[in-house]
Amino acid sequence: MSDIDREIELELKRVLDPLAGAPIPARRMVRSQSTRMRALLGGAGAALSVKLLTGVAVAAAAVTVAGTAATGSLDPTVWGQQVKDRVAECRDKLADGQHGIGDCVSSFASQHGQDVASAARQHGSENPNAHGGNPNANDHAKDKNSGRATPSPKGGRVDPEPEDPTGTHPPVTVPRQR
Amino acid sequence: MQSIDGDKTRQGLPPEVEGYSPGSEADFERLYRKTYRRILGTLITLVRDQATAEDCAQETFERAYRNWRTWKPEAPVEAWLHRIAINVAISDRRHQGLRQAGELVRRLGRPAPGLDPSVVAERSDLVRAMKKLPTKQAAALVLRHYHGYTNREIAAALGVPEQTVASRLAAARKQLQGVLRR
Repeated sequence: MSDIDREIELELKRVLDPLAGAPIPARRMVRSQSTRMRALLGGAGAALSVKLLTGVAVAAAAVTVAGTAATGSLDPTVWGQQVKDRVAECRDKLADGQHGIGDCVSSFASQHGQDVASAARQHGSENPNAHGGNPNANDHAKDKNSGRATPSPKGGRVDPEPEDPTGTHPPVTVPRQR
Repeated sequence: MQSIDGDKTRQGLPPEVEGYSPGSEADFERLYRKTYRRILGTLITLVRDQATAEDCAQETFERAYRNWRTWKPEAPVEAWLHRIAINVAISDRRHQGLRQAGELVRRLGRPAPGLDPSVVAERSDLVRAMKKLPTKQAAALVLRHYHGYTNREIAAALGVPEQTVASRLAAARKQLQGVLRR
């Protein structure tokens, strides 16, 4: 070993050996992926996440409800299939030389619409959480159909027509104003 | 040569002797406690002051921890750590200019210098001269003359040919001769 090597060694030893007694600090922890995710989900991130999740949930619920109301089934392909079947049926009913199945299909479609609307009303009145639990919400579906004959829903339950037993309500005469 | 923490065992022992398992949290903590001072000692000769060396040591262990699962036990673990430490020191030198203002504030807040080992290091002409050397040259010097690695071990640790290590050492010695002869 040359003199210069020895000198370097001695000097490095003199300078660095005192570090042997130095305390070892705690290791700085690495921020893991999960910590970063927690940071994102905490604080302002949490509020944003909740809003996003709520939005997604509401959208999903709206799609489901709309699909169910339109077809009477959770499966949106059901209504399509029913219409298809009905079109084929109406076509078969046509006599030779006759044209137009519009009326036949239309009657089925309108009947189906009334059926599912009635079912939806029924569900709404049974479910206290209808309208998101808002006590101020009006049951518009009920209002629209009050006083109108309601066709029988699929289950065969029919709301009875309001009847006026004879003599219970005497006729009212409205005086003519001049 | 006695290493920085008084442990006379050779660095870069075969993994079966060191007994570290890649990915083991407990083993990494043990590795940290065993090698922290040696890594810090290397870094003190490479970066401008002790505070920076401490930061770089922590950065070294952070980077090592991130790759701990993929560490291959065939490689001597301390050589691997030194390789990371030297890369951290090189990055630090590159960013030194940007950090000077913040560092000044930090120094002003530090207690008055006493017999702190860092002060000894900072006052050493040799260490000061080493900090002016290219990082890779200074690293070769401290690994060879303080930690006691052979040229071959340094070459393996840094992933360069042995001849490159010899050239770096020769260039570093030449630079330091002037300082030590003064």
